[in-house]
Amino acid sequence: MYNLRATIILSFLMALCSSGFLFTSCKGKSMEGMIIITRTSGKTQKLKSNSGDSGNFTTQSQIVALNPEKPGSAVKVLTSAYFSASSPEISCDAMYMLFSARQKETDNCQIYEMNLNNSKIRQVTSEKGDCTDPAYLPNGRIVYSKSTGNEILKRGNSLFTCNADGSDIRKITFNPCTYFSSTVLKDGRVLTLGSQIYPDKQDAMLIVLRPDGTKAELFYKGEKGSYLISGGHETGDGKIVFVESGKDGHKGNDVVSINYNRPTHTRVNLTSELKGNFYSVLPLQTGKLLVSYRPPDLERYSLYEFDPEKKTLGRTIYNNTENDVLEAVLVEKHERAKKLPSEVDMGVKTGLLLCQDINVFNPQSESNGRPFLKSSRIEVIGIDSTMGTINVEKDGSFYLKVMADTPFRIQTIDEKGKVLNGPCGWIWLRPNERRGCVGCHEDQELVPDNKVPFSVKKAPVNVPVHINKVVEKKVSLE
Amino acid sequence: MKTSYKLLLTFGIIVALGLIIHFPGYKLARAHVNSKTAVEDHPLLCTSCHLYTSKNKLLSKLVNTDYFSPFNMAVSKDGSNLYVVAQESNELLVVDSKNRKVTNKIKVGEYPHTVILDNAGKMAYVSNQWSDNISVIDLAASKVIDTLKTGNGPAGLSLSSDGKYIYVVNSFSSGISVIDLSTKEEKKRFDAGNNPTGTQLSPDGKSLLVTSRRALIAPYGDTLKSELTVIDENTQRVRERLNVKSAYMMENVAFTPAGDLALLTMIRPKNLVPSIQVEQGWMMNYGIVIVEQKEKGRIIQLLVDEPNAYYSDPFDIVITPDGKKAFMSNSGVNFISVINIDSVRAIISGASPELLSEYSNNLGVSSRFVMKRIKTGADPKGLVLSPDGKLLYVAEQLEDRIAVINTETLETINTIDLGGTHRITVARQGRRLFNNSGHTFQNQFDCYTCHPDNHEDGLVYNMASKDMGRNLTNTQSLREIRDTPPFKWNGKNQTVYKQDGMRFSTVLTRSEAFNYDDLDAITAYILTGIKYPPNLQYNANGILTPGELRGKAIFERTKDNLGNIIPENNRCITCHTPPFFTNLKLASVGTLALTDDSMKFDTPHLNNIFQSPPYLHDGRAATLEEIWTKYGKEEKHGVANDMTKNQLNDLVDYLKSLRAPRYDGKDSKKQKTSLKSN
Repeated sequence: MYNLRATIILSFLMALCSSGFLFTSCKGKSMEGMIIITRTSGKTQKLKSNSGDSGNFTTQSQIVALNPEKPGSAVKVLTSAYFSASSPEISCDAMYMLFSARQKETDNCQIYEMNLNNSKIRQVTSEKGDCTDPAYLPNGRIVYSKSTGNEILKRGNSLFTCNADGSDIRKITFNPCTYFSSTVLKDGRVLTLGSQIYPDKQDAMLIVLRPDGTKAELFYKGEKGSYLISGGHETGDGKIVFVESGKDGHKGNDVVSINYNRPTHTRVNLTSELKGNFYSVLPLQTGKLLVSYRPPDLERYSLYEFDPEKKTLGRTIYNNTENDVLEAVLVEKHERAKKLPSEVDMGVKTGLLLCQDINVFNPQSESNGRPFLKSSRIEVIGIDSTMGTINVEKDGSFYLKVMADTPFRIQTIDEKGKVLNGPCGWIWLRPNERRGCVGCHEDQELVPDNKVPFSVKKAPVNVPVHINKVVEKKVSLE
Repeated sequence: MKTSYKLLLTFGIIVALGLIIHFPGYKLARAHVNSKTAVEDHPLLCTSCHLYTSKNKLLSKLVNTDYFSPFNMAVSKDGSNLYVVAQESNELLVVDSKNRKVTNKIKVGEYPHTVILDNAGKMAYVSNQWSDNISVIDLAASKVIDTLKTGNGPAGLSLSSDGKYIYVVNSFSSGISVIDLSTKEEKKRFDAGNNPTGTQLSPDGKSLLVTSRRALIAPYGDTLKSELTVIDENTQRVRERLNVKSAYMMENVAFTPAGDLALLTMIRPKNLVPSIQVEQGWMMNYGIVIVEQKEKGRIIQLLVDEPNAYYSDPFDIVITPDGKKAFMSNSGVNFISVINIDSVRAIISGASPELLSEYSNNLGVSSRFVMKRIKTGADPKGLVLSPDGKLLYVAEQLEDRIAVINTETLETINTIDLGGTHRITVARQGRRLFNNSGHTFQNQFDCYTCHPDNHEDGLVYNMASKDMGRNLTNTQSLREIRDTPPFKWNGKNQTVYKQDGMRFSTVLTRSEAFNYDDLDAITAYILTGIKYPPNLQYNANGILTPGELRGKAIFERTKDNLGNIIPENNRCITCHTPPFFTNLKLASVGTLALTDDSMKFDTPHLNNIFQSPPYLHDGRAATLEEIWTKYGKEEKHGVANDMTKNQLNDLVDYLKSLRAPRYDGKDSKKQKTSLKSN
């Protein structure tokens, strides 16, 4: 009897000790090396490009997995329980996949996460608007687009971040623009496709911002007549690739690369020699690209390998006469982006903006014959009204304290009250953000001159100007 | 008792003991680590403090090791031998460049800086920055045959065109010594900028250029100016003192073979602009200064940075014999930038002053003249070309290695291992981090950038901690700060762990914070690996002059000249207590500016204070004397208004004589030995 009891107790203790091991080693089959594709049946709708009207979400699309080493083998549908799913994004440990999906046709689109070892899915967001285009942030949070229309903006997507479990939702864009197709650069910033929708609609541009919504700035803007089809993805060799349309006299959509180091002047069309259309591009760690491409003689977009060095199309990885391939991701471990610290303090109501010299000018443009006119004032314009006119200092600098998370634009005014330049694109400042610009319409590649701006010798001007005093939380001295 | 119960009881006791030990033990350990690191999240690792930064000599010896740290180089006329200055082992290494082997090690003075060869290639001259002398080496015998006395902190060297004189750049005393090699006597000495280092004789032998690292001392807000000293080689007089605006840290200079251009490395700091972001080159930029060698020649600056990538800490520059390419070492990012000189000429040719001014702030211009970036090992410093210009040798200081680059293909074709240990200690890893910009957003700067030589850069920054334009901050030295906490002028950081922790990344580097391993490493380096140079200029042997002794008495006095008792808290010695001349406390000395937030200031340590102008927390005092003559009228920073000028001079002389305590102990022997050789 006692021996039996001893045996039971010993067995229990052994089981207890080994349970940790058993639990931790209980893993399903890894999907590493598989390619995950969003495909859509062309029977239901026309393929819609991301020209600025909507996010990267197409109805009745499916996410499927295939083994690239076994061409022709059957694909595994990963989102069969959903009416529509798209935008797969793989975590840096290749263990999880984020995607956006609509369970039923009438449902809002939400963000989900799949454990790639056991295919279990959990819902991340449960919001009223459509949540699309998720991407993993390096601090364990998620960035995504959410439709946030209102009376003025009608329809548009703002960027939000949340914890991996969907909690602690924070909005990070605050201007009347729509944002989608976000990815995360290795430097930790979010690269997103954004386009102004108010007061007038403008072409999409690549915008970069920190995950807390600070320091938003233009990263790349196509020339007139072109428009961006896909968001940008960073390659292993310091380039950003995306799909753009309408340039180089080429009627189709092309895969374009720009250098991270100098994005505005390094555009290279990688597929100008190829006829047909591209829809999306994804860089692989091998240096090759996965492209969704439709040759001119075919009706469907298929998935191909592409060599950006030789600018040649490689093998077909997946094609299906019933479906278009919208996008693809490879399940592979990849370098985690840098975790950027945040200067945002939600206890502070304002942000600070310093402009070093509104009259900074490009000597080359002056030599082209354009007279240079000096500005002496600026007007800060809000969504639906002016926020005030402010005199700039003699050195052309101004220093503003602006209500946080409030969109505004700036235009420059001369001594006679004539508007000279602007308004510029929409700006917002996050709570406690401190931001500087060299000039109002300066060359983006210009750095500040090393001089003390006259404006910072005084207190900042409150914006809107009718605010006499802003009572701030005391910020501790560094 | 049955076996089963015994087992159960034993297990229960073990678990109970574990719980008892764990919970209070954990709490105690947590409290201990929190108190020692001044942060609440440092892992409970005993090794952080008790091993890597241990003061125990045996432990310290076990965890650390010696390195060569190659710095500058010279190459023999036939290219067969490389002569490598090993800064940490105090040696000149002779390297067979063909077989890539170190064939000889010649002991030289303390902290050697530069090596040059005579015109015949038979003798080498090595400047010993911490010995104030030059080792003269017979290369055939591989032996130091003579020692030449120099000014303070000899760095760059150049032979006169006839080979009869050697020009020595005295980096600490900011001067140039001209030494007659026949008499071995210093013929003359003249001033040169502020902390000069690099020097090069023009190809026609008429001009000697000397670069400055620190900017000339000026009030905050004035345009930064660094001196480029031009010496007429024929008359051996200063011909011109050129001001290079908005630039500093001009480490080295090279001439084109035609002699029409001189290229200097430089940094364009943004210390006058509020430090509110890193994006858009808001903190530091790096590039070259181009000095046209003709009457009214222009001084032009071009950045080697790119819009989203910065090439920090440029150190050396060399130009190929055909004058087509220049190579610049960017120590902070482990790259060599290859510069197309024809492209540089095309950019500057006919450009208006306005356009050139814009170029000096334009990150896009580099795409027009930088041909390639070549990756190197850790901390590339000195460069030297083989005589035919086909090979470039790169001293990878923190790799203990020389890289060999083919100047045609622009590829690294070999490396030369100097034969030292391959073990990277925690402190060495910390030094690598200290010198590398990888922890700053877009690699824009690193610790070394503002703390060159682990010291300070002589600049005052608007750190914009609260509002812009407020709280100006004079950069502080990091030399031997181990025993002088708290840190920062406001004393808010009690430890280096806190100083370089999360807030550091939030307000300064604006990129991912150091992980705990890196934080331990950088703390280990800062606390154990940074030493004061000896104070050979003002207190070489520890014996004070009569004037310094009088100054010491004033420093320690308790009564003023009228016999009035000086309140204890207003005596120099009370707050500036030896051996570090700080009582480690905060004080208010009447220097709070209207643009400062209300605060007291951490009492700064004073050893080697002569090397740290400007003074006070916001750098308002250009000299030590000004602390009292201009900014001490209210007598809150000691009683000084009763002093005569002679007394003030004595006090300043005494302050300048202060040196690291270790030079009064065991290490004083070293210093005296090096002095005897003079």
